[in-house]
Amino acid sequence: MRKYWCVFRIALADRFVYRADFFVATFLRFTPIITTIALWSAVYAGGDRKLIGNLTYGEMVSYYLVVMIARAFGSMPGLAGGLGHDIRGGELRRFIIQPVNYIVYHLHLRMAHKAVYFVMAAFPYALVFWWCRDYLPGWPAADHWLPSVLTLLLAFFLGFLINMAMGLLSFWFLEVTSFLFIFMVSQYFLSGHQFPLTMLPDWLAPLVTILPFAYETFHPVMIVLGKCDTAEAWRIIGVQCVWIAVLSAVVAFGWKRGLRRYTAFGG
Amino acid sequence: MQRYLRIISRFAHNSLARELSFRINFIVTVVSEMLWLAMMLVFVEIIFANTRSVSGWNNHQYLFLLGTHFVISGIFETVFFGNLQRLSELIRTGGLDFVLLKPASPQVLLSFEHVEFSALPNALLGLFLCGYSVHKLGNSVGAAECALFVLLVFSGVVTLYGLMFMFSTSSVWFIRQTSAAHFWFYLTSCAKYPAEIYQPLVRGVLWFALTFVAPVLIVANLPASAVVRGGSFQPWLVAYAVVAAGVILLLSSVLFRWALRWYRSASS
Repeated sequence: MRKYWCVFRIALADRFVYRADFFVATFLRFTPIITTIALWSAVYAGGDRKLIGNLTYGEMVSYYLVVMIARAFGSMPGLAGGLGHDIRGGELRRFIIQPVNYIVYHLHLRMAHKAVYFVMAAFPYALVFWWCRDYLPGWPAADHWLPSVLTLLLAFFLGFLINMAMGLLSFWFLEVTSFLFIFMVSQYFLSGHQFPLTMLPDWLAPLVTILPFAYETFHPVMIVLGKCDTAEAWRIIGVQCVWIAVLSAVVAFGWKRGLRRYTAFGG
Repeated sequence: MQRYLRIISRFAHNSLARELSFRINFIVTVVSEMLWLAMMLVFVEIIFANTRSVSGWNNHQYLFLLGTHFVISGIFETVFFGNLQRLSELIRTGGLDFVLLKPASPQVLLSFEHVEFSALPNALLGLFLCGYSVHKLGNSVGAAECALFVLLVFSGVVTLYGLMFMFSTSSVWFIRQTSAAHFWFYLTSCAKYPAEIYQPLVRGVLWFALTFVAPVLIVANLPASAVVRGGSFQPWLVAYAVVAAGVILLLSSVLFRWALRWYRSASS
């Protein structure tokens, strides 16, 4: 366990080295919220509907605000691509001969990244949420706190496993950049990042909302917003756990089979 | 001038040869770009299933705007995007040395070296979308409007290029700029909507800044307005857009040369 703690500490230090880059990235991440507020205000004003996708205008803006929190937990920029790079470039051999589990190593790396991110982004987040306070429905009810925190934490593990599974494809395909782009685009829409999945047509919604992508963003956001009752919230958390178990098995299996195919040249 | 045209055409030739040697990757890239467009169309359909207009743009006018956006970003991504993304990396790794040593303008070499033809179908699909929405709107589009559209698309590409080039150049000061791709993503995600939606925000300050100071909002909005929204189209903005594109291009060049003073090669 101590070696992974060490990985965690090194990753922490690494993040702080590139502070300016971090601040630019954090600042940029907030800009779409402005577009969201502007766009949905125009959409609600252009028709007579008070509810779109079962959400009022205020709830719609809140939805996108909370999506940012859920994405902060679930998004793993560069994880799948990095794994592809390690496999293609032969970097992976370093890990194979060391007494470190590559996947657990990356899990700790990501936990450190997230820890730094939450510490450094807390202030900008607080500022944006304060600025948008009129749209927000208020703090979650007492019995929603635990499910809200839990579902976001599970979104982190789900995001990690989904990206890891995608990255493992590199064992079978040399060039995965384009696959990753397709994956990214699909994830953007299917997770409810682009628009709430309640806006989907009735025939499509049940199909999309059962996928793991929806459990990475859409369902956790609905829990945090208090759009589902406590029983439903716990059911969602249960399904998240099921998806995590399934994806862990997929990743473990893919890793085992992939290593058999893996060849590294040079030294 | 002729010498640079020869260099650029050689770059394009090499890039095409390289892309065609990875044919499957090329096809997958094209498919993934089309998927992105398809998803955007689904989003527009979902929006207009719930409202009649967005800041005065109806469904087909908005489709034309989206088409124009895809034309401009398709051209930009084909020619410049990969190059400008690489620029940050070259600055960080010290690879810029090799460009600076060559007897030609480093800005030209950096901006045109890798042409990504796989992004070109995006522009064509955008054009197709424009044609479809004009057909649906029943508007007649004359030669003058077409010429204006081409001029404004060109000045839009130049504007985006200038802004992105300045952003990438700033890597000299902010080492490891992983955010260049993000910057592009956020830039385009704000520019593909009707500019009017920003007017009510912070008393129009934001709209003003994004229209006149860093004119990303007029990039796609102006050519689209010129063709499908004759009534609310302001001709003086055309002159402004063209001049602004020129000024931004000039600024990007000045900034780059100035930034080079701070560039310290990373290689030993």
